[in-house]
Amino acid sequence: MELLLEKIRDRIKVNFDLKDSKFNMNERRIDLYIDKKSISSILFYLKEQMGFKHLMHASVVDWLEEGELEVIFLLWAPKEKISVFVKTRLDRENAKMDNLDMIWPQLNTYEREFKEMYGIEFEGLEAPDEFILEDWDGPPPMRRDFDTAAFAKDVYSERTGREDAKDVRETIAKRSGEEIPDFAKKYSR
Amino acid sequence: MYYDKTQDRLTEIIKNFARKHSLWILAYGTGCGAIEVPATMTSRYDAERLGVRGAATPRQADVLLITGYLTVKTLKRVIRVYEQMQDPKYVIGFGSCAINGGMYWDSYNTIKQLDLYLPVDVYISGCMPRPEAVLQGFGKLQSLIKEGKADGARKYKDELDYYRGNQQKIIKNWDFPDYNW
Repeated sequence: MELLLEKIRDRIKVNFDLKDSKFNMNERRIDLYIDKKSISSILFYLKEQMGFKHLMHASVVDWLEEGELEVIFLLWAPKEKISVFVKTRLDRENAKMDNLDMIWPQLNTYEREFKEMYGIEFEGLEAPDEFILEDWDGPPPMRRDFDTAAFAKDVYSERTGREDAKDVRETIAKRSGEEIPDFAKKYSR
Repeated sequence: MYYDKTQDRLTEIIKNFARKHSLWILAYGTGCGAIEVPATMTSRYDAERLGVRGAATPRQADVLLITGYLTVKTLKRVIRVYEQMQDPKYVIGFGSCAINGGMYWDSYNTIKQLDLYLPVDVYISGCMPRPEAVLQGFGKLQSLIKEGKADGARKYKDELDYYRGNQQKIIKNWDFPDYNW
């Protein structure tokens, strides 16, 4: 196992510009930290040469404090039953990346989602502008500096009367002349 | 005897009696509450004995169940569906999301107060309401219909400007038809 993962790491290291790597033996996985320039060639190499045929998932993490967005591709090799996480970092202010949907066509959907939810621009992506959000003209909503509570308070009016979120069961019980049973009292806030 | 429209007339009482015993709900599930509807309809709780049953299209339906949170995108469709339904029509707000936003109180894309956009006759509290609560809500709606108080559809026509104003505040790219009812 360890030898296999090390072999993969070494082959990537020889052929490409590898920043860092991390092993996770329990989950049979290896994390590769790479530059965004070599992402397409590494994904191609892993798919065609190393047997990582299956794209499990693609995801984005917003590192607000470091001013970066991390794009993660989760690959799986069905034969060896190991996975590799390819991680690359983009500048938060100018998040641009190459389009990768020629490697796995299903990446097209992920890229549309990243574009809408995180504002990452994929150069050469051919897809309609709108994905899930309809008529959205605010900032990308999944970025961490987007304050959803303030936005919701601003746009959607709140029902008045329960701002303090108090336990109102006693008031209701008094009003309707009922008693709160003992077993229910312990659930009081 | 003179003709008074505001008085409860015998025909209206008979009509309301018929309406309250044949509530057809539109098979349109929004949010997660739609999962409680099959449980309410099937053998254990058997809502059909009260005259509550499903209808396939908006034009055949009497009741619109808003079963949970509504995003702006869904709200647009729900308003279109509601306007296509024929009188008499009633709206039931279902679960805490329809009442005050529920657990989506800070979501960027869900409305928090349904009765700003559609006239709601009955709210059912709970997250989610059990089938017993749903049946109680239908019972409440039936008693309102019997008393002639379930007049959400009339309210919607009378105060269309109020509802349209609220809807247009959050729905961009407005492409609704103008009605002349």
